[in-house]
Amino acid sequence: MAELSYRDAVIRGIAQEMERDKNVVFLGEDVAKAGGVFKATVGLYEQFGPLRVRDTPISEQAILGAAMGAAMTGLRPIAEIMFSDFIAVCFDYIANEMPKIAYMTNGQIKCPLVIRTGNGAGVRFGAQHSQSVENWTMMIPGLKVVAPSSPVDVIGLMAAAVRDNNPVIFHEHKALYATKGEVPDGEIIDTLGTAKILRKGKDCTILALAMMVHRAMDAAEILAGDHGIDAEVIDVRSLVPLDTQTMLASVAKTGRLFTVEENPRLLGWGAEIASIVADEGFWDLNGPIVRITTPHIPLPAADHLEDLALPNAARIVDKIVRVMNS
Amino acid sequence: MTLSTHTKNDDIGPETRLELYRLQIEIRDCEKRAYDLFLQNLIKGTSHLSLGQEAIAAGFGVAMRKGDKSFCTYRGHAHTLARGVPMEGMLGELMLRDIGLMRGKGGSMHLTSVEHGVMGSYAIIGAHLPIACGSAWRAQYLGEKDVTVCFFGDGTTNIGAFHEALNFAVIWKLPVVFVCENNVYMEYTPIHEVTAVRHPAGDRASAYGLPKIVIDGNDADIVYRTATEAIEKARNGDGPSLIECLTYRHSGHSRADPGKYRPPGELEEWKKRDPLIIYKQRLAEFGISESEALAIETESMRKVEAATELCKASPSCPKELLTADVYADGGWAWRN
Amino acid sequence: MSNTIIMPQLGETVAEGKILTWFKTVGDDIKIGDRLFEVETDKVTIEVESVVAGKLTEIKTGNGVVAKAGAVVAVVGGEAAAPVVTVAPEPKAMDSFEEVKTPLTNYGKAQTAEGWRITPLARRLLSQAHADMNALAQFASAKNLQKVEEQHVRAFLSTALVAKQSAPPPSVSSSDVITLNTIRSKTAERLTENWRNIPHVFQAIEVDFTEIELVRARNKERFKVKTGATLTYLPFIARAVCIALQSFPFINARFENNALTLMKDINLGIAVDLNHNGLVVPVVHAVQDFTLQGLAKAMARQIEKAKSGKMTVADMSGGTYSITNNGAFGTSFTTPIINAPQVAILSTDAIRKKPAVITTNLGEAIVPRLIGTVGQSFDHRAFDGAYAAAFLSKLKETLETKKWAGELGETP
Repeated sequence: MAELSYRDAVIRGIAQEMERDKNVVFLGEDVAKAGGVFKATVGLYEQFGPLRVRDTPISEQAILGAAMGAAMTGLRPIAEIMFSDFIAVCFDYIANEMPKIAYMTNGQIKCPLVIRTGNGAGVRFGAQHSQSVENWTMMIPGLKVVAPSSPVDVIGLMAAAVRDNNPVIFHEHKALYATKGEVPDGEIIDTLGTAKILRKGKDCTILALAMMVHRAMDAAEILAGDHGIDAEVIDVRSLVPLDTQTMLASVAKTGRLFTVEENPRLLGWGAEIASIVADEGFWDLNGPIVRITTPHIPLPAADHLEDLALPNAARIVDKIVRVMNS
Repeated sequence: MTLSTHTKNDDIGPETRLELYRLQIEIRDCEKRAYDLFLQNLIKGTSHLSLGQEAIAAGFGVAMRKGDKSFCTYRGHAHTLARGVPMEGMLGELMLRDIGLMRGKGGSMHLTSVEHGVMGSYAIIGAHLPIACGSAWRAQYLGEKDVTVCFFGDGTTNIGAFHEALNFAVIWKLPVVFVCENNVYMEYTPIHEVTAVRHPAGDRASAYGLPKIVIDGNDADIVYRTATEAIEKARNGDGPSLIECLTYRHSGHSRADPGKYRPPGELEEWKKRDPLIIYKQRLAEFGISESEALAIETESMRKVEAATELCKASPSCPKELLTADVYADGGWAWRN
Repeated sequence: MSNTIIMPQLGETVAEGKILTWFKTVGDDIKIGDRLFEVETDKVTIEVESVVAGKLTEIKTGNGVVAKAGAVVAVVGGEAAAPVVTVAPEPKAMDSFEEVKTPLTNYGKAQTAEGWRITPLARRLLSQAHADMNALAQFASAKNLQKVEEQHVRAFLSTALVAKQSAPPPSVSSSDVITLNTIRSKTAERLTENWRNIPHVFQAIEVDFTEIELVRARNKERFKVKTGATLTYLPFIARAVCIALQSFPFINARFENNALTLMKDINLGIAVDLNHNGLVVPVVHAVQDFTLQGLAKAMARQIEKAKSGKMTVADMSGGTYSITNNGAFGTSFTTPIINAPQVAILSTDAIRKKPAVITTNLGEAIVPRLIGTVGQSFDHRAFDGAYAAAFLSKLKETLETKKWAGELGETP
């Protein structure tokens, strides 16, 4: 057991898989000699050499295309798209190519690869380097999508993603790279498609993802201390596959559901979950399902405006108290 | 322009020549049959024929070895057949029957047969050039000796992925051959009207440090020789090539296009240079008898008839395939 | 076109069944609903009806032969039989077009005629409790509620315990699962655990209640006036239990952490049915020295509390021995589940007139006597069968021979 940063967990997670399987290769912009712009791949080039850890030009289509071609023919590439906003530049591969190749070839071809990408706000990078785009990737059949919130989950879910035979989008949260957490020694392997109950509670269920998990946990403490509301906090972790059973069971217990989402409001990930719970969990609901999200705006760079836009503990508490006491 | 000319010194040999002729004839007959079948409404959806462009697929098909990988576009019937895929697999997929290569799930634009090295046909222009780089990267990394060949049209040279892939393949020195079939039209528009250079691929090669190679794509011998050279270069670890093959599409862009935008007489001029006419003369020049050529033609028609009957008799695929193979476990589950 | 008849799954844990008798023979025409054969399992014997029509062409499993659930036992209609299929129900894959499992049960409208808005969970709880919606309206009105939520429903149900069946149960299609109400699901959880963990042994003894009935008949009017309660057989039995337990201290005990703790006080738990809407077990505490009359009053008070939903946690805890009484429904005997950490539970059933052999001065004679069966489930980890049997014997003796009149303040 040791304390590890989210950033170092990325390095350890990739290294764990590259050590295990020589078919795992890694490519991206500035990832090799420079160790990544977020310093989340430092040392991999030195450890695994220039054939397995490769710098690329600023060519997102080439990065993902090459990863896909290699995956289709036998490798298990990990590709980095530096900022998740850049997914828009190479969206063809994410939307049309990788997720459809198995289906349209009637299963002749599989595409086992991981796209890791720096997602989310909180670092004052403005509208084109701060977005939470997990919902862009969630809506495409054939992809799997995860977004870990802690160092241990980074390692375990990275292992699961690399070992999975499908294209997996791995959203790392930029603002979490410096955060730390306890990580056990030795190999860590988690399971895709599993949510994690981080705090047990009986009065309401809060679902959150990535950085919002930390804010939801803070909110839950305030709710308990100041308002006598005992919230259950669930880290969704995996958007596809989606662990609906854990969520429905929690709502069956609490009767109340809140989602805390960093993505802009329209069709954020919580919308799908709200729809499922409103349907299958209807007779367990003791109040409206409420989504707490970033407003439907591009993100500003100014620190006070960005802080205003993202859900924070105070806003979460305020919203939940108002809804539960209305 | 460096249009090579063949010599009487026969570097190709009668056996390979007959193979080149056989492939061109079979592709032509199959494409014509595809056209007939959609007139009979037996082929649904869309389809993009390579009538007039057969020499390129045949030339590369014969030059490639078993284990080499090809990546095609939605105009990929010819390149698929050229790797030895049975006609009923191709026609059956066009007819969306169970006998098709993908049992009807992919359709005419996504012909794939991994066992023949046909690693897919891609319907988003330019997408497969980077993917072909990935296939070549795998071969390079694992020390495998196969070469990846990537076919595309002239229109592809104006999309970003083309340029990203060329640069990428050169800097990583990947064993990949990019083959541009310049058939004069980008869909409905003459390529020269929308391109900064005269040779959309050839004139851009220098930007990536590659030699300019522009060849007569209607002469199967020239294609075969050029292909052999580029493939061997790649196989020897000397990096990628970009080859522009000049040709002409006899039919419209797709089944919806009658090709009315062509200037009068253009099609007729190109039809004089029909690759099959050129090659039949070539056979005679090298002393291959009329009866041998006729036997190939007869056998080709017999195969097309037999394949057509098999396809017509084939049912549609079972409904269960609707949700099969969305994910690698064979299923489609996105939740528990 | 032929159809196969398979051995049905006759219970969740039943793996096979023995065909006792075929009612049809090969060549018979069969209609849907015709009785086909009688099958015996370790749990039940049942007649199986045909779900297909046609001519019975082959019987593969004859009389007296055992077949696994799902196996083909006969063919109806035509050609050769299909191979044996195991019918182990596969986990059902989700249908492509029903990616969401919409519940089919409806628990009523979001708004009542009076205009109360009711949350879905509140509606479900009200419906499952068969609550009287008029009473709810009064409750909501009194509390000036704008809308009705879970906590209001729970408060409403606990104050009034409205189990008046005024609303019919929600229409439920045969494949629907009925969600358990809270009492029911707690009971289910606890009983399952006890049934799984405790090695139960059941014994029963016949008791002659004729003498008790004489005393009861003489005293019930006076008892009613004095205490307001009806004098049933239950207080007699409870009193006899208290007396017998004092001779058998291992039975008035708790088994926890592999140790048996003998309890000083006798705290009797009395199982009470809430109009088939759940089971509660109120406890009367430290009753070892109570007289019949005192015990009867204490029990009546606790039972009333339970039925009106006014019990506190203290009213339900601390039991050392339990009694369940199903006699009102005419049952012959019941094998109850022990309420851990208690080690035994008594069941009493119908007391009715039966011919009995008695010995008189003139010799043996058959006469009508009031006979009832008193049974006990006990935890075999705590003690053995002989000990339990001796307790039952002492209980019988007490019931039949004690001078009950004195305990009721009747002067002899």
